[in-house]
Amino acid sequence: MDTTGATPVQARCVGDVAIIYASDYLNKLSGERIERECKRQLEAGRQAVVINFRDTELVNSIGVSILMGLIDAAEQSQARLIFSDVNSQTASLFEMLGLTRHVQIAKDEREALSWIEPESSAAASTVHHA
Amino acid sequence: MSQERILAHVARHDFVGRDAELHQFISYASQLPERKLLLFAAPTAGGSEFLRQAYDELFFRRASAVPICFAFGKSDLSLVEIASDFFRSFLQQYIAYRRVDPSLCVTALTFHDIAELALPTDYEAVTSLIESFERERGSSDELNFLRFCLAAPHKLAASTKRTVLPLIDCLRLAGEYKTTLTNEIVRAFLARNDPAVVAGLRRQMPNLTHEAGADLDAAELINLDYLGDEDAHILLDTLTRKLNVESSDQTRDLIVQQLRGSPFSLAALAQSAREESVSLTNFLNCQRLYVDELMGGRIHRHFSNLLSRIAPQAQTRRTLIRVLYESGLSETRKASVWTWKKRLGVEGSEFEHIIEALHVHELANSSGATIELNTDLPVWTDYLQAQYQLEVAGEARALTVANALLDTLKRAPQTMRRKYRREAALGLKDLLSRFNCQEVPASLFHYDQFAASHTGFDAEAVNAALDAEADIIRLPQVVSSIDGSVIANTEPGRCAIAHGFEAAEYTDENEIVWIAVEIDSKLEAGEELTKEWCERLALIARENKFGGVKLWLVSPEGFTSDASKVLKQHDAYGSSRQQVELLTARLQPETAKTESIAVDEYEMVIPMGTDTELIAAHAVEQIARRINFRPDAINQIKLALVEACINATEHSLSPDRKIYQRFRVEDDKLVVTVASRGVVPAGLGQNGDANGSVKSRRGWGLKLIKTLMDEVEFERVDDGTQLRMTKFRK
Repeated sequence: MDTTGATPVQARCVGDVAIIYASDYLNKLSGERIERECKRQLEAGRQAVVINFRDTELVNSIGVSILMGLIDAAEQSQARLIFSDVNSQTASLFEMLGLTRHVQIAKDEREALSWIEPESSAAASTVHHA
Repeated sequence: MSQERILAHVARHDFVGRDAELHQFISYASQLPERKLLLFAAPTAGGSEFLRQAYDELFFRRASAVPICFAFGKSDLSLVEIASDFFRSFLQQYIAYRRVDPSLCVTALTFHDIAELALPTDYEAVTSLIESFERERGSSDELNFLRFCLAAPHKLAASTKRTVLPLIDCLRLAGEYKTTLTNEIVRAFLARNDPAVVAGLRRQMPNLTHEAGADLDAAELINLDYLGDEDAHILLDTLTRKLNVESSDQTRDLIVQQLRGSPFSLAALAQSAREESVSLTNFLNCQRLYVDELMGGRIHRHFSNLLSRIAPQAQTRRTLIRVLYESGLSETRKASVWTWKKRLGVEGSEFEHIIEALHVHELANSSGATIELNTDLPVWTDYLQAQYQLEVAGEARALTVANALLDTLKRAPQTMRRKYRREAALGLKDLLSRFNCQEVPASLFHYDQFAASHTGFDAEAVNAALDAEADIIRLPQVVSSIDGSVIANTEPGRCAIAHGFEAAEYTDENEIVWIAVEIDSKLEAGEELTKEWCERLALIARENKFGGVKLWLVSPEGFTSDASKVLKQHDAYGSSRQQVELLTARLQPETAKTESIAVDEYEMVIPMGTDTELIAAHAVEQIARRINFRPDAINQIKLALVEACINATEHSLSPDRKIYQRFRVEDDKLVVTVASRGVVPAGLGQNGDANGSVKSRRGWGLKLIKTLMDEVEFERVDDGTQLRMTKFRK
């Protein structure tokens, strides 16, 4: 059976693209929530996943390691993974830990979507909570 | 309970860790059933003081029975002197109790004084007894005189129609088996039907009761073992405070582990610290003092006196030290009685006396056919090694001291590590014993299912999901659960073997043995490791001819999918630490340090746990803001602190599960210190692999901290790790 966490991950789909919103503190627990949702989207056949860090103030090293796992998972599924709305501190952290060599970082969601298939941005969007 | 002392050597509130036993004692004395109360004490566990405390307690409680307490074997007196001493002591205590005057117990009184102090209702009986005593003492028959004196309490009780409760301390007679005195004590107090309390060493008491023809099963027993870690810690804390000796939690923990909760040894070390004006604030001081104790202090005198009594002749004693020490070097530490006899070079009753005394004092274990050195008490083996080096190997004393100090210092971290690992163990033995046919969600025993359904959810959500789970396992009724660490060759507490019945039906078909083991794996346990453990446990089951068997492996982070397949092949269960904790909570419902600090220094203690590092991060953010750090620097300090907290949580088997933080504001910098007690991480100071492979994802914390802060310094402290991080205001 599936479990419903007390703090769900916010996510929405724009065509074939899933957008997942990271919480204010990306640690083991919240990272695993994102991981779970991301894998669910990849298994559903999404061609691209955007992780939006607009609310994220702090990412710890465990959170980073989970994001690295997601980069792996996306590669294996031959899907694109883009991070967006990353604040400057977090961007420095990703740079420092080498994530930026494996993932694209967009200024915001719109830019991320523009980098993906043009038809994705035209499609209707749906919002749900995982 | 009373605070006043009569016979007790320490105040009641300083007599730590024996409340349950004293309560049992008082309960016995209140009811005075027809059976005896036997006190089985471990050597140096404080059996004599327990009796004295019990005496004082009974005295002030004014129970119906008159307590009489006497310790045999205090010094080398003749039988007549011992008998007279007993008689006088008993009469004084009787009079003291009747007059409710504790001072009479310890005041020097003549028999005339005693008779004069007797209450009118007791006067005739007391004077008559004293007259009989004088008459018997004049006769030349020592044995009859001894018997008269030992029977005196019974006679006085009969003539005054009062109940007398003798508390007989035989602890110092240990090893003096079948002597006239021992035989007569047994005859007077164990072979009779009257209530009596007899205390002796735990390996001595079965022989005494056997000699008396008494039924051990019919007696009430109190086992006085060494103090547990917590009580021993409290005792040491109490002693050091009382003696004005400075000590710390860390050093007290080390001492308690090293002295195995022996009140005698703890008191000896604390007293020695006081006499030498040494503070017990670091491991080096503790071990120096410990070695001094081994070489010439109270601990040395204790073992030295013991060995002198066991082997009075110097040459035999020297040979005994050699044989004991060398037997400890062999793999099994065990040799046949024949080998021992040959090597010791003594025959007949002398040999028997030596072996019996070694066994009773728990210096060696004798099974009748074999003898082995007892290595349970490090203080004994340390003393033995030092004596061997000095007396047998002829080593210079200074060199022996130096070597002993080096050895004990090197051993200290391992001693603490063993303690932490023991404390961090999940307690599988107790957990299995609580199974009791309860029904639990099956996913708690199948890591793959659990991970698939519950990873990434908080405890509340996981518990809710488990409550709704349809797949249920009914646990067996466990009738015996033992520590299987010796059988499985694991550290203590990490393997348990439980015998029970499925569905609580006592039939051969339903008989089941659970073998549970905690395995070490930093990440999910892999296929090879899991296979190795499954095969190892299956072998144990085969060798022990267990019928129905269920293997249960517990790995802190669970099992890889390949390992889960191996578990299925062996029909074994596999759980992560989280699953076991959830199971434990289901089987048993749940039931700051502050110090003065400088103005420019802040201290904070947080529990290790979910997201508590954020609380610390917010605190340091406020401090950094007050001293005008730039926002990006503040974020860097916050993240460094978060990483340090995660590091402390993940890499130490912390006994108190706390992270101690200090934020010191200086002119041009903020110094953050993060400390935790527990195991020092392996490869301390090495960086994780941040460049690479996505596979090596963990272990970046330290590199991150070093990048974020200006100065980072790891410091090994006596009992754990301290990380000092500095950020300069630029």
